[in-house]
Amino acid sequence: MRWATRAGVHIDRAGCAWLLHRFIDPAASFVFVEDPGEVPADATAFDMRGVELGHHGGDCSFETILRRYQLEDPVLWKLAELVHEADLDDERFDAPEARGLDVVLRGLSMILEDARVLEVSGPLFDGLYEYYRRGLLLGREPA
Amino acid sequence: MIHQGERGTAVPESTVLPAGSGRLGSWVLLAYRLPREPSNPRVAVWRKLERLGVARLGDGLVTLPHDARTREQLDWLAEEILAAGGVATVWLATPGSAAQERATAAAMRAARAAEYQAVTEQARDAAAASAAERMRALRRLRGELRRIARRDFFPPAEREAARAAVDALAADAAAAGEPAVIKEGP
Repeated sequence: MRWATRAGVHIDRAGCAWLLHRFIDPAASFVFVEDPGEVPADATAFDMRGVELGHHGGDCSFETILRRYQLEDPVLWKLAELVHEADLDDERFDAPEARGLDVVLRGLSMILEDARVLEVSGPLFDGLYEYYRRGLLLGREPA
Repeated sequence: MIHQGERGTAVPESTVLPAGSGRLGSWVLLAYRLPREPSNPRVAVWRKLERLGVARLGDGLVTLPHDARTREQLDWLAEEILAAGGVATVWLATPGSAAQERATAAAMRAARAAEYQAVTEQARDAAAASAAERMRALRRLRGELRRIARRDFFPPAEREAARAAVDALAADAAAAGEPAVIKEGP
């Protein structure tokens, strides 16, 4: 399936792309557009104004996708807190890691094309997922 | 003036240029109207605008220097206003004159200056408090400095004083945490 989002990807779009690819559509391919009017007819848009998979009711797009696809994995909801704070910085959650994550993604988007940002940030989100998965199992910070 | 796409332009950072450069910057504007009732969405939008550090140009018209992040923040806020039954449009614009741009930037700088000033005063007040109280104040003020910095597009001179006052509090707290170290006078 094809998915479309705005060019110049940052934390929310990179997180959403990882989420879609890992948990919803293993065959996902992504296109990047400058304007909502450029979304191809066969693609589903995310993290853009006026689309279902965008910001809604104070949620960032990552949280919207979790709700829409009824993903209840607590590890994904923990990652959602990080993405939310890195993206919106509204202190809804206590996620001090978000600041660092935000800087890492901003830096990547300065030196890489969008498709490469997704390739490079994929293992980053895989690693974060594993870290918080172990943390939840242990009930404390994993080594 | 409409800019299509903010990537690949010569000025990737905030596109407002320093005074005297002879060129006018690009600004992103949000024009909005929200129903008077219910008041919750009005308050939520007002808080978010304060947090973003917008310049208020008139009733329901705010602006920020244009970059990828400010554009996105105002886009999402417009979406939120529409969802709350209001009307909102987002525009990219160039000021009509350099003087107008300077006045807008000066208003934003003055608003940040007042915030930095408050941090400086709180840091100085905290210096006289107990060690535990100083530590709490330090944590809080560092967070406050970070929040102000995110909306500080035209840094005022007061920024350095605020940073210095918080650094002094940190040095103080570190010294208090190491009772073996005796501070020697000059």
